[in-house]
Amino acid sequence: MEHNDYIPKPAKLIGIKEEVTGGRAIKTFRAKFLNGHGFSHQCGQCAMLSVFGKGESMISISSSPLQKDYLQFSIMKTGRVTSALHSLVEGETIGIRGPYGNNFPIDDWQGKNLIFIGGGIGLAPIWSVLQTALGRKDDYGDLTLIYGSRTSADIVYKEDIQALRDKMTVHLSVDVEEPGWEEFVGFVPANVKDKALKPGNAIAVTCGPPIMIKFVIMALGELGFTDEQIYTTVENKMKCGIGKCGRCNIGPHYVCKDGPVYSWAELKKLPPEY
Amino acid sequence: MEKILTKQSFPEWIEKLSAYKVYAPIKKEDHWDYEVVEKAVGLDPAYGNAVLSPKKIIFPQREVLFEFGSQTKEGFDLKENLPEDEAVVIFGVRPCDAKALTGTDKVFSGDFEDPYYRKRRDAATLVGLSCNTPPSKNCFCLSVDGSPFSKTGLDVLLTDLGETYFVETLSDKGEQLVNAASAFFSDSKKKEKKEVEKLQIDAEKKIVRQVKDVKSLPGKLKEIFDSSFWDDESLSCIRCGICTYLCPTCHCFDICDEVTCEYPLAGKRVRTWDNCQFPDFTMHSSGHNPRPDKASRLRQRIQHKYNYFVERYDEYQCTGCGRCIGKCPVGIDIIEVLNKVNEHGA
Amino acid sequence: MVNLEELKSEIKRVLGEGKVKYFIGYRRSTGGLPAAPFFMKETEDVERLIWDPTCIANLTRFLDDEKKRKARQKEPDTRPIGIIVKGCDSRAINVLLQEEFIKREDVYIVGVSCEHSGMVDEKKLAAKMKGKAVAQVDFAGKDNFAVTAADGEKTGIPAAEVLAGRCVECKVDYPVVRDVTFGEELARSPGNAFKSVEKIEAMSVAERWDFWKEQFDKCIRCYACRSVCPMCYCDECVVDTINFAVTAQTGAKEKAQKIKWIEKSPATSENFFYHMVRAMHLAGRCVDCGECERVCPVDIPLRFLNKKMEKEAKELFDYDVGMNPELPSLVSSFRDEDAEDFIR
Repeated sequence: MEHNDYIPKPAKLIGIKEEVTGGRAIKTFRAKFLNGHGFSHQCGQCAMLSVFGKGESMISISSSPLQKDYLQFSIMKTGRVTSALHSLVEGETIGIRGPYGNNFPIDDWQGKNLIFIGGGIGLAPIWSVLQTALGRKDDYGDLTLIYGSRTSADIVYKEDIQALRDKMTVHLSVDVEEPGWEEFVGFVPANVKDKALKPGNAIAVTCGPPIMIKFVIMALGELGFTDEQIYTTVENKMKCGIGKCGRCNIGPHYVCKDGPVYSWAELKKLPPEY
Repeated sequence: MEKILTKQSFPEWIEKLSAYKVYAPIKKEDHWDYEVVEKAVGLDPAYGNAVLSPKKIIFPQREVLFEFGSQTKEGFDLKENLPEDEAVVIFGVRPCDAKALTGTDKVFSGDFEDPYYRKRRDAATLVGLSCNTPPSKNCFCLSVDGSPFSKTGLDVLLTDLGETYFVETLSDKGEQLVNAASAFFSDSKKKEKKEVEKLQIDAEKKIVRQVKDVKSLPGKLKEIFDSSFWDDESLSCIRCGICTYLCPTCHCFDICDEVTCEYPLAGKRVRTWDNCQFPDFTMHSSGHNPRPDKASRLRQRIQHKYNYFVERYDEYQCTGCGRCIGKCPVGIDIIEVLNKVNEHGA
Repeated sequence: MVNLEELKSEIKRVLGEGKVKYFIGYRRSTGGLPAAPFFMKETEDVERLIWDPTCIANLTRFLDDEKKRKARQKEPDTRPIGIIVKGCDSRAINVLLQEEFIKREDVYIVGVSCEHSGMVDEKKLAAKMKGKAVAQVDFAGKDNFAVTAADGEKTGIPAAEVLAGRCVECKVDYPVVRDVTFGEELARSPGNAFKSVEKIEAMSVAERWDFWKEQFDKCIRCYACRSVCPMCYCDECVVDTINFAVTAQTGAKEKAQKIKWIEKSPATSENFFYHMVRAMHLAGRCVDCGECERVCPVDIPLRFLNKKMEKEAKELFDYDVGMNPELPSLVSSFRDEDAEDFIR
């Protein structure tokens, strides 16, 4: 049979974890390919997830390539397909095709200090690179996570983040004051400035809502980070995932194929259509 | 090879092509449309160009990618739906429309080959018809590296010499088509070749519309990206899909699941044409829209054709067929827009 | 006669006094015969204004754009916009007023008379000219057009031979709502306003099905008919994959539960569904400006559908669309003498 990129391969949901509940619910899914299907991905890549009868959504793979047992996706319930995904239970089958897009150039970052800056569900797209850096800790310098969410109830990977504290520096924040919260209160960019991150020999990787990314980049610039030291991962509406359907473009770039990972030096040259 | 075919023999040639599904432009009310030929007839001398280019055959507006059923032990029932192996021949293809397919070829090939497009494209033999007179007053192929006698993307090119066609085969597929009825074709003479050359010169003179200084457009378009120019140019746009759906080079599509109401689950994953002029084309599920207004959408159409596509594939995503101009309900004229882009800030 | 120079001075005056934000009229199109909508902001723009039988477009369609643009702005310029309307277009304004989609003070209306002939149909004219390119068409007295070919040759053509279908069946060729008017209101002997529908009515149900199936199967769902229609102003349209009305505040549940009424596939069922929904939504609202049919790239005779609905409204409820903004709209009103008694 001819190779056909549009055909999803079956994968069983082997774990579903509720991260956040309510109007902006987030669940983390672990999926394992059936019948010997599968692919190996790189940090920052995405995959098209199918719920048959509802459609497809492009979701970033949040598990590290070092994790060979399953693929992990953290998904906010926001539309038709993601709502259908949220209604699935363990043992059910979804379709997956991919991996798509470019990746974080982690091999080029060897020996550098890595700073991860996430907001809300924006932690998921950088989680794979964070996990990989942890898995190859000797290859990198200091590792730092700055993560913020609206409230403490909106924090994803709660236990995992607690466990991280032994291995790397972790700074959390919530948007507004709440009882019992002892860490930073305010938006993520403010926390970035508050922690006075040092640009020397560092790479900053950020993802979150578009407005947060914008201000984080500004904050990093103020702290002396160069455009080449800042990386982000962007999203646009996608249908094919392979650079043909024409809607995810930012200028001549297709985010699905040429992105989603960009250094700020690259991204700032493109039109702001994301 | 170069041959001569009398117009009388033309329908007989078509009849010999029983191994092919034959398409030709058929008159419908006030327009022409490619349809499967039931009964072989000649090409109507009144034919200008079809409302939809042969894109609609190679890349149909609706294509079932696969059918799916309910979950099974192995995952789910899934039946791939590649096009059938069926040789197709399309008659009356205008040079601009054939050239357009060489652009979509690039989109649908590369590191992710699209098997649906590839199969249909490989199965099709394109028989072109030179434009002795421009089919539309808005033709501007000369501005975009085209010509009314261009052979790019064609397998055979016919040129109307009055009583006969001058027939040039341009590929193996084209030769096969002629060889299927070789008795109808006679050898061409120098005189006829000369006549074709003269017709071409005359035809090119008849194309009056022109995009000026087209080579400088990619650079100019980059400069003008943030300009209020797009607001002004798009004021009259009504955000319909005519310009892109009728365009022979536009290739954007949507993929949706279509299901029946029956249980257990059965449905189809379907690819349909989509359109950068529709507001929902780029809208995220959050409601955020990177191209929220008609100015940004008109800009996308023009930038894609004369800047982004050039950067990606080193050619214009426009072959100067003029459809988007003639059919625009509000007179948005890509030639006028491009010429204004070139003059902008000058 | 509409005196173009007087028309221009009026628009210049209104623009010059800053009474309107901008003025929508017509300019010569570089791409085809029908005049293009023309947005005039400065008085010097007005020099390019034209008024002739190619000014067929119904400009009231842009009132929707303006309303939505204003809604997006924090401090919108609340001045009215100026607009040129013909008889049929003015009735569209009346419907929009009736539905309270716009307010009377939102528009400064310059009405023009169709000069006792009407608008030219590009396709009919092309057939009449046997392919000869046309440069210009002018009004030439009662029921006549003067056609100038691209090579400069001038011919007189009886208007009736090349008149747009909507004009053949026109009921009101003079603006019914306006601030100022140009051109005389000429007594017109109305023909049968529903003549064209008779052709369809004479068909059997099976013939009708075959007719419409063939027509709708051509549809490529470019939605030009919807996009050009002044009555298709809904924020949400059943045919769109996501509704425009989705905002950051729209919840996931709401979005997921939005019923997908119609597929994007241009299949017989979906195309019928689309056109039927549109026809029903235009019942008692369509003013027969004929724009949907004019812009259709595949020549679907949409006026038949809309005319039929208009005829039903007339025969069953004696309702004339767009004649009186004070009257309640057809579908939102009930009178004792109305034909259907299911509501009683």
